[in-house]
Amino acid sequence: MSTSALPPINPLLKTCGKCTRDVFASCPDDSIQEEPRSARIRLSVKMNDEYRDVRELPAPLLAQQGAVGPLRPKEQRKAITAGPSAETDASRIIATIDNKPIQQPSTFTSASNLSRALQLHKTTRTIKPTYHPPWKLTRVISGHLGWVRSVAVEPGNKWFATGAGDRVIKIWDLASGELRLSLTGHISTVRGLAVSARHPYLFSCGEDKMVKCWDLEANKVIRHYHGHLSGVYALSLHPTLDILVTSGRDASARVWDMRTKAQIHVLSGHTATVADVKCQESDPQVITGSMDSTVRLWDLAAGKTMVTLTHHKKSVRALAIHPTEYSFASASAGGNNIKKWKCPEGTFVFNFSGHNAIINTLSVNSEGVFFSGGDNGTLTFWDYDTGTAFQNMEDIPQPGSLEAEAGVFCSTFDMTGTRLITGGADKTIKIYAEQTQ
Amino acid sequence: MATALASLLPKPVYAPTVSDDEDEAVQVTAAAPSQSVIIRAAVPPYGQRRGWKPTSPDDFGDGGAYPECHVAQYPLGMGKKKASSGNTLALQVDAEGNVRYDAIAQQGQRPGKIVQSQFKDLVPLAHRKDLDESVRQLERPSEDEVQATTEKTRAALEKLVNGKIKAAQPKNVPDSQGKTSFIRYTPGQQGGSDSLKQRIIKMTEVVEDPLEPPRFKHKKIPRGPPSPPPPVLRSPPRKATAQEQKEWMIPPCISNWKNNKGYTIPLDKRLAADGRGLQDVHINDNFAKFSESLFIADRHAREEVRQRALMQQKLAEKEKAQKEENLRMLAQRAREERAGIPVARPADSKPSAERAAAMQSSLGAYGSGSEDESGEEEEDEDEETARLRDQMRQEKRRERERELRMSNMGTEQRAKMLARQQNRDISEKIALGLAKPTLSKESMLDSRLFNQESLSGTFADDEAYNLYDRPLFHGSSAAAAIYKARGNITEGNQDSFGEGTEEGITRALDNDRFGLGQARIGFEGAQDQEVREGPVQFEKDTGDVFGLDKFLDEAKSGKKRGLDMDAGGSRKRQQLDKATERDT
Repeated sequence: MSTSALPPINPLLKTCGKCTRDVFASCPDDSIQEEPRSARIRLSVKMNDEYRDVRELPAPLLAQQGAVGPLRPKEQRKAITAGPSAETDASRIIATIDNKPIQQPSTFTSASNLSRALQLHKTTRTIKPTYHPPWKLTRVISGHLGWVRSVAVEPGNKWFATGAGDRVIKIWDLASGELRLSLTGHISTVRGLAVSARHPYLFSCGEDKMVKCWDLEANKVIRHYHGHLSGVYALSLHPTLDILVTSGRDASARVWDMRTKAQIHVLSGHTATVADVKCQESDPQVITGSMDSTVRLWDLAAGKTMVTLTHHKKSVRALAIHPTEYSFASASAGGNNIKKWKCPEGTFVFNFSGHNAIINTLSVNSEGVFFSGGDNGTLTFWDYDTGTAFQNMEDIPQPGSLEAEAGVFCSTFDMTGTRLITGGADKTIKIYAEQTQ
Repeated sequence: MATALASLLPKPVYAPTVSDDEDEAVQVTAAAPSQSVIIRAAVPPYGQRRGWKPTSPDDFGDGGAYPECHVAQYPLGMGKKKASSGNTLALQVDAEGNVRYDAIAQQGQRPGKIVQSQFKDLVPLAHRKDLDESVRQLERPSEDEVQATTEKTRAALEKLVNGKIKAAQPKNVPDSQGKTSFIRYTPGQQGGSDSLKQRIIKMTEVVEDPLEPPRFKHKKIPRGPPSPPPPVLRSPPRKATAQEQKEWMIPPCISNWKNNKGYTIPLDKRLAADGRGLQDVHINDNFAKFSESLFIADRHAREEVRQRALMQQKLAEKEKAQKEENLRMLAQRAREERAGIPVARPADSKPSAERAAAMQSSLGAYGSGSEDESGEEEEDEDEETARLRDQMRQEKRRERERELRMSNMGTEQRAKMLARQQNRDISEKIALGLAKPTLSKESMLDSRLFNQESLSGTFADDEAYNLYDRPLFHGSSAAAAIYKARGNITEGNQDSFGEGTEEGITRALDNDRFGLGQARIGFEGAQDQEVREGPVQFEKDTGDVFGLDKFLDEAKSGKKRGLDMDAGGSRKRQQLDKATERDT
């Protein structure tokens, strides 16, 4: 028959198959899966053919590179980045074929380290900040006769209190912005205010060295905490203990027992005015920022410093503790002046860079909106998680004030975190709110 | 029996201390034979201690110094200066063999204190390679942990508070009744009398004066040394430059004169009084000089160019005139020749061939006939004419060629050509830099004088009364700015008063600018006036108002007042008439 005249079928089929493959290789389709075994064979052949000579470094180069210690187990870097792993199929196959260890760059060669660091840097830079709606000035309350130096919001979110250079503490309705009450008693600027969440008490401190406890049921001073040697600049309440911490110009922070007025500790160690103090429920329970440009984290039980942070170049005037994250931020003057720290050991997290001013106040809410107010009236809103500024504003002083009176002294978010209350050098209280679409 | 008991009992854990000297001596003597070697520095006996130095504590036994040995002795180590342990730190290495250079920062600190001392403490958390992901988490501690911390702290603080309060609370409140106790006392020696067999004693504490000053002075213990300073993890501050220091200098809080009341003067005012920002920028005079000289040079160059152009023009004119003159002379001569007037031609000044050719060509129109040329120059003449003809022919041919070219040219080319012919194409001239605009009188003016207020022309003519016909400072004075008439048609404000039409003007007049309402009564008697049309016209009053003319006429007529009786008589008569009237 004619079958004998036909060429053998196998080579024909092979060529045909090759042709088909070549034709369809260009269009990506999952149906054309490379058979693992064939791929493996192909790769190994290719490696043997083409790269046999360069499988090992030449001897002099090897000698130059020096002995490399035993390989550390290769850790899978779970970077903050979300993205596909760089490992591809090919490299894995190569690794399985070539069971020799991959030439790890020596840790002593600086170039490779540098490149690695750069790579790391690049990968860590890819964290995306979360979106926050912009903030807008919604209300200006002009009622004080002096600089508004302190502000505190009541835990019930019904009213807030401000203390000013006119020695008066005023209590305002948060919703309407109406004055409810004026408390007189201080004989100098009121520098710190706090409303207790567990008592009907308002605490205030001032440059007259006085720390007062007001009973909000009688609107009277019921206690004085006597002991500061100079003006008291900041005040904070412990969230879980009946303790009050004040700090001031006498370079000390003092821990008071709320009920007995006894001074439990003098947290001494700073060498200049302690400008701000903050308390939290877990260690470090007291954090102070001082004009000696250090931040100290205190062991409250022992009354001793746990960590001293000396990263700041200028005096630290403001601190802010995040309500839900175990971290805090501190701010001083100059560039790279706002720093975020991780509790409890005070590890440096990153800088919030871009607000070149003397920072007077910091605030942060639970949604991660971080606010910094400058002495020259610049306001910046940041994303707290990434340190990205998402809004820069200028404080507009009320009409009739000098150009120099555009300064922000104090700020706080209300309990919901949707409004920001600031007090400034133009004697006004300004309320900012998130702009809703 | 005691020994039996001792054997029964277990051996005592602590051997009884035997401190008696004699006992020890006995023991030593007793144990001496049994022990093989006792190394004991032999203290030379008394009297033989010359040259012997007691150094070790053994040399003293339990005793004191040897007075006969004149060396420093420290029995029982007394008085010996303690060799300080030194503040040198031992070199420490970590698990990987790296030297821990920050050991000095850690030493002497409280345990549990964290000292940040390394470069890694400056690295942001996300970039640190020595930490794993769990450390990077910023999770708040759980409720239980918080609770535990709180409890621990509360306990610690309560202890402290209690201590403080106790110090504050009065310890011994003096009992008003007195803490009294009655003790029955029976004396030991029952002496003679029976009456004193037993006594009851009342014990009362002495009442203390609560306001008594303390009997013992409370001495304050000096504060202990502070904890070692932490390593500073920032670069040292940049030194302020002299410029910066100067800028930071803020003048003191007093005015330049006096501040009696001691007012606080704001910073900006102080800075203003300082006059820091008041110096204006001083521009070097040379800039002005430079621009001035540039301007002058420019003008000079223009002037020169103009002069040169004038000169060239003049030269060209001259040349043209000369040529014309030449032609005129030639024509004259030719006419004379034709008329047969022999030309007085000097033999030596025979015209050259070219001259002749030129003449011939120029006289071509005259259809030169050279019939009266002399015979001996005939051949010469023939050659000459032939050449001339050739030349003319060539010229003709060139002309024709040109015409042909022109007929073949495009329109544009032809237009250009025409323009060039009519001397209107100046592109070449521009390219050569020969073209220049016609000089007008204005271009010769100094442009700096433009745009400036100036008095017109000259002041020269006194008679011409145009000196004050325009304001001296037009538009610059305050008056001009304030009292600006809003609608002066003459000033060019054409839109005012309804463009000067009648109803526009009346409307403007009726316009109640100050809201006073329409004036009901104007000037008195103004109502009666007839409505005027057109401007007020004044006419010369020819009547003799003051009787001056009459007076002058009288004066001219030369009558004497005294002589004219009838006038005086008449007056008298009038008076008389009046008197009579009164009487009647």
